Amino acid sequence: MAVNLQRRTLEAAPEMPLEAPDLHPATALRRLRALLPQDFQRHVRSARELDRELRDARETESEATLRTAVPALDRLLDGGLPRGQLVELVGSRTSGRFSTVLAALAAATSIGEAAALVDLGDSLDPTAAEALGADLQRLLWLRPQNLKQTLAAAEMVLASGFPLVAVDLGMPPVRGGRGLEAAWLRLARAARAHNAALLVSTPYRVSGTAAGVVLKAERAQAAWQGEDGAILLLSGASARLQLEKQRGRLPGQSEEMRLALGEVPLDGKKKAPEPPTARRTEFTGLRVAVGY
Amino acid sequence: MPGPRIACIVLPLFPLAARLRSEPELVREAVVVTEGNGNAARVVAGTRLAREAGVRPGHTLPQARALCPKLVARPRDEECERAAQEALLEVAEAFSPRVEDAGDGVAYVDIEGLELHFKSDSPELELGRSLVAAADKAGLPVRVGIASSKLAARVAAGLPDSPVIVPEGEEAAFLAPLPLARLAPEVEITSTLEQWGVRSIGDFARLPKERVASRLGRTGRELHATARGMDSRPLIPRELPPVFHEGTNLEWPLVSLEPFLFVGRAALERLCERLESAGLACQRLGVELRLEPDGHQTRTIDLPAPTRDVKTLLTLVRLNLEETQPGAPVAGFTFLAWPDHPREAQLSLYGPAALSPDKLATTLARLFALLGPDRVGSPRPVDGHRPERFSLVEYTPPPPPEVRREPRAGRGLLAVRVLRPPLGLEVISDDRQPVEVRTLVQDESEKRPRVEGRIKVASGPWGLEEGWWTEEPTGRDYWDVELTGGIYRIYRDRGTGEWFADGIYD
Repeated sequence: MAVNLQRRTLEAAPEMPLEAPDLHPATALRRLRALLPQDFQRHVRSARELDRELRDARETESEATLRTAVPALDRLLDGGLPRGQLVELVGSRTSGRFSTVLAALAAATSIGEAAALVDLGDSLDPTAAEALGADLQRLLWLRPQNLKQTLAAAEMVLASGFPLVAVDLGMPPVRGGRGLEAAWLRLARAARAHNAALLVSTPYRVSGTAAGVVLKAERAQAAWQGEDGAILLLSGASARLQLEKQRGRLPGQSEEMRLALGEVPLDGKKKAPEPPTARRTEFTGLRVAVGY
Repeated sequence: MPGPRIACIVLPLFPLAARLRSEPELVREAVVVTEGNGNAARVVAGTRLAREAGVRPGHTLPQARALCPKLVARPRDEECERAAQEALLEVAEAFSPRVEDAGDGVAYVDIEGLELHFKSDSPELELGRSLVAAADKAGLPVRVGIASSKLAARVAAGLPDSPVIVPEGEEAAFLAPLPLARLAPEVEITSTLEQWGVRSIGDFARLPKERVASRLGRTGRELHATARGMDSRPLIPRELPPVFHEGTNLEWPLVSLEPFLFVGRAALERLCERLESAGLACQRLGVELRLEPDGHQTRTIDLPAPTRDVKTLLTLVRLNLEETQPGAPVAGFTFLAWPDHPREAQLSLYGPAALSPDKLATTLARLFALLGPDRVGSPRPVDGHRPERFSLVEYTPPPPPEVRREPRAGRGLLAVRVLRPPLGLEVISDDRQPVEVRTLVQDESEKRPRVEGRIKVASGPWGLEEGWWTEEPTGRDYWDVELTGGIYRIYRDRGTGEWFADGIYD
């Protein structure tokens, strides 16, 4: 009750400087009380209590979600992938779908959580995943050969307690079609039973009503660097991520997802080229080049 | 100084008990275990129903069948007996580390100091009951005797109303009223003594030892000493076996998989129960098959992590047999489990939750069975630059950090979806760069993505060289190309001039 009340209060008065350093707690409390409806004023007793409950609310939120380190996705989902739900990420080629999956895996493994990737497309490049920040020791990679195996493997890893399971169905045509909706419902139930975040990355909608959250990634726009006549460099891509379904929320919200290739900034100026040396192997993020 | 205290565990009618352990559904039937072939086979032991029908050890099988028409006969099975003996020793080892294997359903346990674990008025009696209960749980109806010498304990274990406790120093008094046959039923001297009118152990003990020695020799002297309660044989503890066995010889050879798995499941269940009682799990599973008429096959299945999940092990056995069929009817089998300690984890109060090692091991083994050994593991980069290469290692995640922390702020990096194996392309290019690509005609059943269209932007070439010092060097010219359908990474093989797509920026 108290947490809901505070949320409503903050939404109602976004301009109030709650954390202003020069504001005395008692003054802040007085101002806050003044903003509250008459019935709710008695619930706020002290600034310390308010602060503690706000902190508790933040911690509860962070425990209920798993941050993905993709800012657009985290913003769209109020903090990250919700635990205990099936999140379906739909996107065509070059929509940033696989980057999102890897970022979520990297975020989870980098903080010490175990994660599993059920990779139907056999798309993972371990070198690239490591470069993205994934702790490969904590990542379980499963390479099924059809959708049936994929669903069975995902259910097994969910049942063994993995807090994050990412299922990537690869590029169309998906081997095994869409699968039975009952199988996706079983998977969603397994995620709920074990409080795990289940991210399903797919080229088209597959999970039907089993998905608690559906996100659509539109085809990304490539960002090229360089001047006319010179060699162009792919510096990244940007795609729009749209919320199509989430229980308790209206669909339609969207965020722009900007993905840089390696260390080349998306909107920054082109880096000064390093002088080429004989047989110098350069590894820039995901691209390997040999300069002469 | 008090002497040692020894418990003797005896499995009466050992060949029968071992057989019934493998086939528990026969417990309430009239069953006999026979030795020999055909009509010459003689009864070794029988269940109560068979004995009540008049069947006795030594009867031929036709004689026994004449007495009991519904008699179920089973031949002696070395595999069953070996497994039952091991199971008996493991039950004993759950109580004491010092256990002697006396063979044929007999084990001696050094129980010195164990009475401290039992707080009742008669701790040894309670210990004996615990031994009986533990063995019963393992499918072994045993009798237990506790005394200060192996001989007295063995004799006590042979008596009804188990467990029988012989107080320290009262061995001679305990033995005295018992018939001489209980002392050493296998020794011929006992019949000689009976002819002399010596009926009980006490009668024998009262004879002058010098006279006994002069008339019956060394064996007689030793027997006389044991009759007086003196047994100087020490307990010789066995060493733990490196492998656990469980198996059986089949009544008739099996030619299909399902019946084999049905029988095999029971054996695996017994094996896993034994592993569990020892606090171990199976790291490697061996399957020995005895084939008709005289073949023999051994297979070994390596597991990704120690497990004792019967369903998983059975699935692995099924997959192994489906992959390589025995090629002949199976007349018997033995499962061998190379044990290892299950994984353990220290849980943290404040950090992220660790995976349960037991559950993880079972899941890995099941995934192993579902997907195959080269499709489950932790990915590792391979030294080199070709992006399609990788290696998989055993998944053993390190313990999670002690304190939960937040992930780093996202950098938002674009990743490449690797096309494994690379997709063959037909590329039209002008003098400088490729201008149009098309997937080479492929088998429709392969279900691989298609890459087609006019190139809007091309960036390259980016050279890749690897293994130039080898006979088959890799040389590639990479291009990043943007088509209407996406951004691709394509390359031209310098050796063959062929074009491939090996990744999609996604």
